[in-house]
Amino acid sequence: MPLVIFVDDSETALASTRMVTNSMPIEVKQYTQAQDALAEIKAGMTPDLIITDLNMPVMNGFEFLKGLREVPSTKRTPCLMLTTETKAELKQQGKALGLTGWIVKPFNPAQLKQAITRVLRLPA
Amino acid sequence: MIILNAVDELLQHIKEVQEDVIELSTDSLLKMSSFIEKNSIEIDEELSTALQYQDIITQQLNASIEAINSMKGSLDRFNHAYASDENLANESMQKLQEKLSITLKEAKDKKSRFSGKTADDDLSETIEFF
Repeated sequence: MPLVIFVDDSETALASTRMVTNSMPIEVKQYTQAQDALAEIKAGMTPDLIITDLNMPVMNGFEFLKGLREVPSTKRTPCLMLTTETKAELKQQGKALGLTGWIVKPFNPAQLKQAITRVLRLPA
Repeated sequence: MIILNAVDELLQHIKEVQEDVIELSTDSLLKMSSFIEKNSIEIDEELSTALQYQDIITQQLNASIEAINSMKGSLDRFNHAYASDENLANESMQKLQEKLSITLKEAKDKKSRFSGKTADDDLSETIEFF
């Protein structure tokens, strides 16, 4: 099964995404700190999709994305930003860093499932 | 200044109430989500959105706690300056006013940034692919 990792400093936000994805044919790993996810990726974990929050303490979503792009195995891994931010400048910044897409919270569960299905090319 | 001490105490109280609200609402949501997951209940859009409001509430309250901390710091610095030299009071008061204006501006900006789709009725789509 494809591995999808979620990174969000809010445990409740992670619970919300877990409730939506638990019926999908994917393996999910969740992290409350981006630096922990990045460390596991550097140690050999190879996710098929990364979904991350933007505003997080210590390492924010953009810093995390930059870190991911420096690791050969995740240089091109699809990455979605899941955030309350809606500013066009931030979306542009994400796009320039190689972000695949932008999801605004609160997300629609059906749309989140569709987005994961589309990026991972799962059977609809 | 006695009045500023009272304001400081009031801010501290508001901050503590907000921290309690964050803790209780987080605990409440985690219990609900645990129940939903344990019973394999499929959530619909309305329930999912309602559950996600908790995260937005937490972000909003954390941002206002940051503003309160900043205000308390400014009040503290003013109190120290005033205590050491009352002649500097006018200048210190002006600095305090400027700091509080900046704090208010930052807090309002965060209120808008952390509201997500709840504050932006024009956002018909929550997902955008690049």
